[in-house]
Amino acid sequence: MSTVSLPPRTKPAVGREPAGGRLGGRRSPSGRADVAVRALGVLALTGIVATCWLGLFVTPEAVNFGNLVRLLYIHPPMAWVAFLAYGFALATSLLYLWPRTRDPRLDRLAGASAEVGVVFTGLTLVTGSIWGRTTWGVWWTWDPLLTTTALLFVLYVGYLALRRVPGDRETVAKRAAIAAVIAFVDVPIVYFSVSWWRSLHQAPTVDLAGRHLYVHGLMAWTLLLGFASFSLAWAWLMVHRYRLATLRDREADEGLEVAIAERRAEGLP
Amino acid sequence: MWHDAALVCRKDLLIELRSRVGLNQVVPFAAAVLLLFGLALGPDRRSLLPAAAGLFWIAVLLSAVLAIQRSFAVESADAGRDGLRLSGLDPAGIFLGKGAAVAAQLLVLEAVLTVGVAVLYGVPLGGGLVMAATCLLASVGLAAVGVVYGVVSSGLRVRETLLPLLFLPVAAPVLLAATKAWKAALSGTGSQYWTWLSLLAVFAVVYAAIGTVAFGPLLEDS
Amino acid sequence: MSYVDAGYCVVLGSLFAYAVSLVARERAARRRLPPAPDEAEQSAS
Repeated sequence: MSTVSLPPRTKPAVGREPAGGRLGGRRSPSGRADVAVRALGVLALTGIVATCWLGLFVTPEAVNFGNLVRLLYIHPPMAWVAFLAYGFALATSLLYLWPRTRDPRLDRLAGASAEVGVVFTGLTLVTGSIWGRTTWGVWWTWDPLLTTTALLFVLYVGYLALRRVPGDRETVAKRAAIAAVIAFVDVPIVYFSVSWWRSLHQAPTVDLAGRHLYVHGLMAWTLLLGFASFSLAWAWLMVHRYRLATLRDREADEGLEVAIAERRAEGLP
Repeated sequence: MWHDAALVCRKDLLIELRSRVGLNQVVPFAAAVLLLFGLALGPDRRSLLPAAAGLFWIAVLLSAVLAIQRSFAVESADAGRDGLRLSGLDPAGIFLGKGAAVAAQLLVLEAVLTVGVAVLYGVPLGGGLVMAATCLLASVGLAAVGVVYGVVSSGLRVRETLLPLLFLPVAAPVLLAATKAWKAALSGTGSQYWTWLSLLAVFAVVYAAIGTVAFGPLLEDS
Repeated sequence: MSYVDAGYCVVLGSLFAYAVSLVARERAARRRLPPAPDEAEQSAS
């Protein structure tokens, strides 16, 4: 039985809406940040819903592509967000590696962004696969973009696996940061190699980039809305994943302190 | 830096010469892989021959994982890693030295496997210069990225599963380019191999550069 | 249901599920922790 008494457990006040409503007069920085994040979430959700509504119901079918064009409003945004997420992870990883800007928060941001990136990469693969299925009847084509995305998926799943490894936090963070740099640098190399690889075979041009599509008017706006909304969604998801990481780190730290205190208490007469 | 690299490279190669783990374990492993591919794809030469170049390079890639793991396993014995850090050697030099040693072992492996592929799959060897250039550039690239990942996964309990997971996807362009270059060389189809060789060169240079810069901070901790 | 509709469902469903799981895990982690001395640190981003 532990002789150490923990402070009484109360629900932390942060994260709960003040009684006066969302725009109540909380002055603390954490309150303001919370409001901002909530607004971000609402904005993202609204944008996504609008995109889907426009994409599924309002926009017209396209010449040659018919109903398939509706996938255009979500597939490219998925790919873009994955790219954005990995780019952000690269930036924070580089900053982390630079001794002057080393900060565990950067490491947590990198991990959070990469995890969200992996989710979006998976969705890119799914939507791309569906596109291929409806257009050419096959679930998978060795299209340069799709293949690069698949490799990207595996690359960053590996990165996430590295992050989960038990060990000294700073050591793992440094190693993960290097892995992030290596992975990101590999992407253009992979893309070019796969493009050349594909161009050698006179296979019908599997044009998942949809370059033959003429997008105008409402379709263009819907696409733009899609890009914007899902980018906002990335930001919101990343912030929450980052918070979760911060909480878990604190939990680990405090667990350690409790354990140390318990050991010390055992030594007392 | 170069002096340190030569020292480390010589040390690693000497260890290999004396223990012969590469010769006794990695090369037979690669040969086994070639055999298993043969078993899987059937005795018919018509299905093996077109795939031969690709199978060769996959065997090389898998063996490279072993070679890299071995390169770092020798350090963890007798607290070698601490010794390496305390020796005052330039980290970039350590990286280049280890990379060179791994690359050298890979080249030897590839030479043996080339014979294996010629015998088992009936590959008519030709275009030797391109094949050799491919082997050289690919080995350097694989060694460079492999040694970085090797230190990233060193000292961790899960390193046996982590290293292949990290290494193989990154090495995918090397597999692609090397296979294509070999195919071009073997079938004698003109100048297509230039794109592939240049890709391999870019890969090697980029990852050698990254490794040289990154090895310092990586080696700081255990 | 066409493939396009299925695609939309998968995308929206996955993102929603992920978001919900994140928020749930965050709440659970917060409940497990004793109140922090420095609340502002938590929301730094």
